[in-house]
Amino acid sequence: MNVNRVTQSMLGDRSMANLQSGLKRLADLQEHLSTGRVLNRPSDNPADAGSAMRLRSSLRAEQQHARNADDGLGWLNTIDSSLQTAGDSVRRARELALQGANAAGGPQAREALATEVDQIRAGLLSTANTTYLGRPVFGGTTMGNVAFTDNAGVVTFTGDSNPVNRTVADGVVVNVAQEGTAAFGTDADNVFAHLSALSAALRAGDTAGISTGIDALAADEKQVVVARADIGARTVRVEQATTRAGDSELSLTNALAEIENADLPRTVVDLKMQEVAYQASLAATARVLQPSLVDFLR
Amino acid sequence: MTGTFSSVSSALSALRYNQVVMDVASGNIANVATDGYARRRVIGESVGAPDKPAMWSRYDGHGDGVRVGSLDRMVDPLLDLRARREHGNQSFLDTRAASLARIETGLGEPAGEGISAAIAEFGASLHDLSNHPDTSSVRTQVLANAQGLADAVAVQRRNIEAEEGDQRMALLADIDETNALAKDLAATNEAINAARLSGTDASALLDARDSMALRLADLTGGTAKENGKGGLDVTVGGVDLVTGNKAGRIDVASGVAPDGTADGGPLVLTATAPGGSPTAVTGLRGEIGGEVTLLTVTLPGLRADLQGFAQQLADSVNAAHQAGFDAAGAAGVPLFGVDPAAPGGPLVLLVSDPQALAASGIGGGPNRDGGNAKALATSLSGPERAYQQLVTGFGVAVASTRQQAATQQNLTTQVDGAREQLSGVNLDEEMVTMMQAQRSYEAAARVMTTLDSVLDTLINRTGLVR
Repeated sequence: MNVNRVTQSMLGDRSMANLQSGLKRLADLQEHLSTGRVLNRPSDNPADAGSAMRLRSSLRAEQQHARNADDGLGWLNTIDSSLQTAGDSVRRARELALQGANAAGGPQAREALATEVDQIRAGLLSTANTTYLGRPVFGGTTMGNVAFTDNAGVVTFTGDSNPVNRTVADGVVVNVAQEGTAAFGTDADNVFAHLSALSAALRAGDTAGISTGIDALAADEKQVVVARADIGARTVRVEQATTRAGDSELSLTNALAEIENADLPRTVVDLKMQEVAYQASLAATARVLQPSLVDFLR
Repeated sequence: MTGTFSSVSSALSALRYNQVVMDVASGNIANVATDGYARRRVIGESVGAPDKPAMWSRYDGHGDGVRVGSLDRMVDPLLDLRARREHGNQSFLDTRAASLARIETGLGEPAGEGISAAIAEFGASLHDLSNHPDTSSVRTQVLANAQGLADAVAVQRRNIEAEEGDQRMALLADIDETNALAKDLAATNEAINAARLSGTDASALLDARDSMALRLADLTGGTAKENGKGGLDVTVGGVDLVTGNKAGRIDVASGVAPDGTADGGPLVLTATAPGGSPTAVTGLRGEIGGEVTLLTVTLPGLRADLQGFAQQLADSVNAAHQAGFDAAGAAGVPLFGVDPAAPGGPLVLLVSDPQALAASGIGGGPNRDGGNAKALATSLSGPERAYQQLVTGFGVAVASTRQQAATQQNLTTQVDGAREQLSGVNLDEEMVTMMQAQRSYEAAARVMTTLDSVLDTLINRTGLVR
C-alpha cells in the first residue's frame, strides 16, 4: 500500500487488525492443541475431511468384522469341543462293541456293555444338542432348542440346513455352524440309530448285528472326524480374518491420525512462536500509540 | 489601500485568520477518533487588489492581509464510491460466511456426534442383529439406533430451519434500518441544501451524509451519487431509494410474514422510489443481499440435499428390509418413511415393534437366520457415501465463501486505508498547524505593537525637540 500520510487512527486500526490476526492464529493453534485435531470442521480441509470420514467408516467396519469373528469363533470352538466329545463317545462305543463281539463274555457281561452303550447314546444326544448362547449349534437356524429330538427311542433331526453366516472381512462370509446330519448322520441312518441297534444286538448276543454295528460306528466316527476337520479349517479362516482385521484397524487408525490429529510438538512450538509474536506486537502497539508531537511540545 | 491604519487592519486580518486555523485544528484534534469524521483544512488567501478594475480609482496598496478562502473537507468522492461498493460486497460475503459457518459447526463432522456417527451405530447394531437375530434386546437396540439416526437427520434439518428463521428476522431488521436510514439521509440532504444556501458550514452534515450512505451500502449494496445540491441520491437494485429530500422504501412483498415466520411464498423484495410504485428488486448486495441469497438459494438447497439423503437412505434400507422376513416369518415392511412436514422428519421410523424387524433372509416361518440384517447393514453404505459427499461439498462451499470474504477483506481494508490516509486526523500535523498559527498570531500581534509605537512616534513625538 502506497502510504502518503499516516494518521493516528490508521495506526490504531492497523495495530488492532494485526493484534486480531495474531490472536486468531493463537486461537487456531489453541483449538488444535485442546482438541488434539487439526481437522475440526469440514471446511478446515474439505478433501481431508472426506478421507477422514471414509477412513472412520472403514475403521468401524473392521472393528465390526473383528466382533463378528469373535462371535464366530465362539460357535466354532463350541462345535469343535462337541465334536471331540462325540468322537470320543463313538470310539468308546465301538470298543464296547468289539468287546461284545468277543464271545468270552456271558449274557450278564453283554448286558453291562449294552447299558453302557445306552448311556453313551444318551450322552451323545446331549452333545449333539449342545447350545451356544441358547442356540443348538448343530441345528442351523431352527427356532427350536434342540437339533435332534428323541421320539420313543427314534432320534430325528429337527434342525435345518441353513448356514449361520458371519462376515469376518469385506466380502468374506464364513458359515460358523455345523449341519447336524453331516456330523451325526441322516435320520434312520444316524449314529443314534446305530447305537440303539448295537445295544439291542449286544443284549440279544446277535454277533452279526454286533459286527454290523462295529462297521456302522467306524463310518460314524469317520464322519465326525471329517466334520471336525472342516470346523478346524473354518476356525483357521476366521482366526486369519481376525488377525487381518486387527492389522488393517491399526493401519487405518494410523492413516486417520495422520490426516486428523495435530502434530503435538510442532503445534506446541508454533503456539510458543505465535505467543512471542503476539507479545511483540502488543509491545509495539503500546509504543506506537503513545507518542505524538503533543508529548514534546512545551 | 495605503493609509495610516491599513497595516493595522492587515494585522487584524492575520489575527482573525489564525484564530480560525487554530479553531479548525482544535476541532480536528477533538475528532481524532470520531467515526466518519473527515479532517478539515483552512485554505487561506491573501487579500489584494480587487479583481475588477474601477474606472475612477486605482488600487495602490501592497496587499491587505489574509482571509479564509475556504474550509476544505478532505474527502475524495471517487474513493468514497469505491469504499461503498467494497463495503457492500464485504457485508454480503460476511453474512454468508457467518451463516454457513454456524451450520457447519452444527453438522458435527468429521469426528463429532453427527449423522455419520448415527449411521455407524445403526450399522453396528444391524451386525449384532445379524449375529443374534433371536435376542430381543438386540432387536430393541436396532430400533433405538434407527430412531437415533432419524433424530440425527432431524437435528440437522432443525439447524437449517433455525438458521433460516434467524436470517428472516435479520432481514426484517435490516430492512427497517434501511428505511429509517433512507428517511434520515433525505432529511440530511435537505439540511445540507439549506446550509449551502445560507452559507453555513455544512461539513458536519456532510460527514453524517457519508456515514449514512456507507451504512446503506453495507445494508443493501446501494450506489450513491451526488445530486448537485450537496446531497447524495441512493439507488438500490436500479430503483431510486433516496432522491434529494425524498425517501422511498424497501419492503418484503412475500416470503416473510411480519412476525418473521415464513409465509410459504417465494421471497420477493420490492423497492419503492419516492412517489413511485413498488418494483420487485433482485441482485442486491450488502447484508440484505446476503440474507436474500441465503434464504432463496443456499439454505433451501441444503435442506433439499438433506432430504435427498434421507430419501436415498429410506429407499435403500426399505428395499433391503422388504426383501427379508420378520421374527414371525412374514415379509418385511418399509422401515423408514420420508416426510419433510413431520415434527421429527424428514426421516421417519415406521416400525415400532422389534419383532417386525426383518432380520431373516429365509421365509416360510420363524427361524434364527440373520442374513437380511447383514444385507440391511450393507444397504447403509450407499447412503453413507452420499452423505460424505454432501459434507465434503458443503465444506468446500464454506471454505470458498470464507476465502472470498478474506480476500474481499483485504480489498476493503486497502480502500478504507486509502480513505483514512486522506481524511484521517494526524495529531502531529495538527500540532504543527497549531504551532504555526500560534506563531503567526504572535507575529501579527507584534506587528500591532510595532505599528502602535510607529503611531506613537507620529502622533506624540512629531515636532518635539528634547
